[in-house]
Amino acid sequence: MSINLEVNVGGLVMKNPVTVGSGTFAYGQEYNSYFDVSRLGAVTTKSLSLKPRAGNKPPRLVETPAGMLNAIGLQNVGIEAYLRDKAPWLREHNCTIIGNIYGYSPEEYAELARRLEAEGAADAIEANLSCPNVHDARTARGCTLVAQDPEQVQRYTEAIRAATKLPLFIKLSPNVIDIAESALAAEAAGADGLSLINTLLGIGINPETRRPILSNIVGGLSGPAIRPVAVKLVWDAARAVKIPIIGMGGICNANDALQFILAGATAVAVGCYTFRKPDAAMDVVNGMEDYCRRHGVEKITDLIGAMEMQ
Amino acid sequence: MPYILDCEITSHQEVAPGHYRLVAHAPEIAAAAAAGQFCMLEVQEGFYPFLRRPMCFERIYPDSVSILYKIEGEGTRLLSRFTAGQSINIQGPLGKPFPLNGAYQRHIMVAGGIGIAPFPALAEAIIAQLGKTPEVIIAARNEDLLLCEDIFQQMGCKIHLATDDGSVGKKAFASEVLDALEPSKDSIVYCCGPMPMMKATHAVCQQRKIPCLASLEAEMACGDGVCLGCVVEANVEIEAERMVRVCCDGPVFDSTTIHWESY
Ligand SMILES: Cc1cc2nc3c(=O)[nH]c(=O)nc-3n(C[C@H](O)[C@H](O)[C@H](O)COP(=O)(O)OP(=O)(O)OC[C@H]3O[C@@H](n4cnc5c(N)ncnc54)[C@H](O)[C@@H]3O)c2cc1C
Ligand SMILES: Cc1cc2nc3c(=O)[nH]c(=O)nc-3n(C[C@H](O)[C@H](O)[C@H](O)COP(=O)(O)O)c2cc1C
Ligand code: FES
Repeated sequence: MSINLEVNVGGLVMKNPVTVGSGTFAYGQEYNSYFDVSRLGAVTTKSLSLKPRAGNKPPRLVETPAGMLNAIGLQNVGIEAYLRDKAPWLREHNCTIIGNIYGYSPEEYAELARRLEAEGAADAIEANLSCPNVHDARTARGCTLVAQDPEQVQRYTEAIRAATKLPLFIKLSPNVIDIAESALAAEAAGADGLSLINTLLGIGINPETRRPILSNIVGGLSGPAIRPVAVKLVWDAARAVKIPIIGMGGICNANDALQFILAGATAVAVGCYTFRKPDAAMDVVNGMEDYCRRHGVEKITDLIGAMEMQ
Repeated sequence: MPYILDCEITSHQEVAPGHYRLVAHAPEIAAAAAAGQFCMLEVQEGFYPFLRRPMCFERIYPDSVSILYKIEGEGTRLLSRFTAGQSINIQGPLGKPFPLNGAYQRHIMVAGGIGIAPFPALAEAIIAQLGKTPEVIIAARNEDLLLCEDIFQQMGCKIHLATDDGSVGKKAFASEVLDALEPSKDSIVYCCGPMPMMKATHAVCQQRKIPCLASLEAEMACGDGVCLGCVVEANVEIEAERMVRVCCDGPVFDSTTIHWESY
């Protein structure tokens, strides 16, 4: 039986529904020594900003039960270096590219999207409106994210939409009361898809020193610990909007990934588990194919939102 | 290219209170590895701990590698439960090795505590590739925690001991012992240990105008240059800020690269 794993995420055709979480796969090339990264449905880049960013001071990482907190602070090479040094490699190796972008204003996001499209350096844009690590947590409202305010989501999305014809995905935050609000705002403003979830906000404190473990105090929680939350939010969002969803949060294997698809995601991303197992995303692709074979599923799209409720 | 392999443990022993030596059969990794590089060990199959644990190569044999480690927390505690005959998943070799420079006559290794771990492999490489016999300063809290003395003795290295409590060797800091050895223009220093000890060693080397290579530690998620979690502040500027990755720009750095004032 031949199995069709191809999906179309808001105009982006992926040969299988598996990509990687932004920031957990650098710019693709880095993991090619472990497996042929062009076999993934798409490679999602680290968030790119107009200027290179050095990121937060260390310590930036702390392990947690079944996961990790990070406060990297969007250290990245910047758009120019990406266009010059990273994108050509991805193109030469026939990778489908989701270019993840981060800006400080709607105009910056628009500029980044325009640059990526003009240089042919991405096949779709993922706008990270939900990075928890670029704010000063010491201030009272220091952790406010664009993705937490539906009006802002709409304003930012409209600006990026006007700047590019590429499929546009908005990456949302789980740190909200009702994900449907931000999902609907992005959809109304012309997004072609949604990516969720970004990390959950968290803090680690060392009782011996009574100091926060991360220099930035607050970090983003990722890994298997957040998976049930992520599946629930994908389910909520999928019922609120018609545009497709790339689901992520703690995916380690095909069964994890299938939960997201059954909850309504069209595609999935493997995030920080790649740090433990560099070819984890490829395992997910293979495992999905196995699953379809075992269950007589001819095309993966038949499983989207197919959770059965009595 | 780093490998990820299940490797059979051929021996695993407690060598000092809370300190273990694990030898694993890993021909591919051993063939590719050089002194100063490290590997990432999967300490268990489930999700707690979630991440691999970085450990440098203590020795690199033709068919195997050895790891010398100290129980620090949950990950190393689980690691200590592995027994000979079991297999362990090893990713490596990772990072940059110690550069070897035959222009120097005197090679001095300065180790604090478990910071001794990369030096048996380095001593072996210096002897084999440069034809010189290094000296080693071994500093530890007390006599029981002095590691690897026998190994360096067999290699014919000159050994200088220091303990915090004076139970054996000098009651002095490693950096003070180094200074007393009066290293000069023909000397190069390698150091590994707690940050304050490396900072002090760097200062001695600066004052004496001799090169110092420091092997650093940092919290790591990927070990492979991707997560950007393992950075330390350096004197290299990126947009007016300074960060280098311990896992792939290091772990061995020319000590002048590091911004010691931050530590
Ligand atoms: C390149 C490199 C080489 C190393 N080589 C050795 C070695 O040869 N022998 C040895 O005994 N130790 C070595 N270490 C330190 C060792 O990795 C830590 O002691 C170990 O990860 C602690 O894990 P744990 O779960 O027992 O402790 P926990 O304290 O429970 O660890 C919690 C978290 O902190 C991290 N962590 C804790 N202490 C350190 C530390 N000192 N350095 C880096 N991460 C830390 C762990 O990776 C983990 O993510 C090395 C570290 C690095 C970065
Ligand atoms: C170290 C690290 C860095 C990340 N960097 C980014 C980033 O630059 N942009 C972004 O949109 N998301 C970033 N994320 C979030 C992930 O893409 C993903 O949304 C999140 O980690 C949940 O998936 P996971 O649990 O599978 O890791 C980062 C996550 C981690 C762990
Ligand atoms: S440990 Fe991930 S970049 Fe160094």
